[in-house]
Amino acid sequence: MSIPELSKSQIDKLGSRLRKGDINEDDLRLLDSYRRLFTAAYEEVVGRIRNELGLEPTGRPAKSTTSISEKLRRESIRLSQIQDIAGCRIIVADILTQDEVVGRLSQLFVGSIVVDRRERPSNGYRAVHVIVAHSGKLIEVQVRTALQHLWAELSEKLSDVVDNAIKYGGGDEQVVTILRIMSDNINVQEVGESELLRTLSENRQDKSVEELDQENTKRQDILKQKFAIVTALNAIGEVLPRLKGKKNVISD
Amino acid sequence: MLFLIEYNREQGQLVTIKSFADSERKKAEKMRLQLELELNLKDIENEVVLLEAETEQALRRTHRRYFEDLAELTSVPA
Repeated sequence: MSIPELSKSQIDKLGSRLRKGDINEDDLRLLDSYRRLFTAAYEEVVGRIRNELGLEPTGRPAKSTTSISEKLRRESIRLSQIQDIAGCRIIVADILTQDEVVGRLSQLFVGSIVVDRRERPSNGYRAVHVIVAHSGKLIEVQVRTALQHLWAELSEKLSDVVDNAIKYGGGDEQVVTILRIMSDNINVQEVGESELLRTLSENRQDKSVEELDQENTKRQDILKQKFAIVTALNAIGEVLPRLKGKKNVISD
Repeated sequence: MLFLIEYNREQGQLVTIKSFADSERKKAEKMRLQLELELNLKDIENEVVLLEAETEQALRRTHRRYFEDLAELTSVPA
């Protein structure tokens, strides 16, 4: 059974009700129909990533009602303008692999838009998103390194159990500061590591003593940054008991 | 595989998870709507989301937040 297209006005009126938190059964059914309109495009995009790139993304065929409602409340955006109704996520080891995967995605989906949030993060969130348009529907492909992903999961979880504002740079000041520092440390460590890997892949025989010294310094810097990331993780662990008093932060 | 997840955001806890074969997408979507309608009727604001991954293990890696508490997320890998 095919799903009838909905008018933009119908969709945006639904969005207004979701924003107000004033929804009934009919609205949930209408939202369900709207989200299902993305299924074919989602399946095509994720299928091509699997079959043509040999990658194994985790897919989210439809954004949850909770997430859609929150996004509508948070941003001055209409439901029909939300770009991540459907999408998928790919986790890679490091920045070099991230660059490679983003390059392959861009080649596979000609005309896709790359949103690089590594240099200019959004409230500490770093990742690369590739927005693919297929049959008039947008599908968001998130490409994160393992460390960027760890940070994003932490930020989301803290937003869930402590304060929803944390994900957007608000809420408990100490937590926000730790997250920001951790995000910066991750970036410095990952950029340093990718530079080092590039250098190491060059021909070692031609390298001067100075160049080898520089490589060693980079190695030490990377270790320092890794230590700083672990320190940030520990710092969050240390503030947990204080946060626990506020909300149900951690299961006993 | 498809996974239908009900998650309590405030508590940070997974409430239920149901898995479906790839061929059961329509059924999984129907169940998602059913669950949302039931929760709405009971005035429960849990998050309901349908995710797709090769295995549950892969899902647990890319969506840790649904499965782990903060202590687990902040534990430093050995």
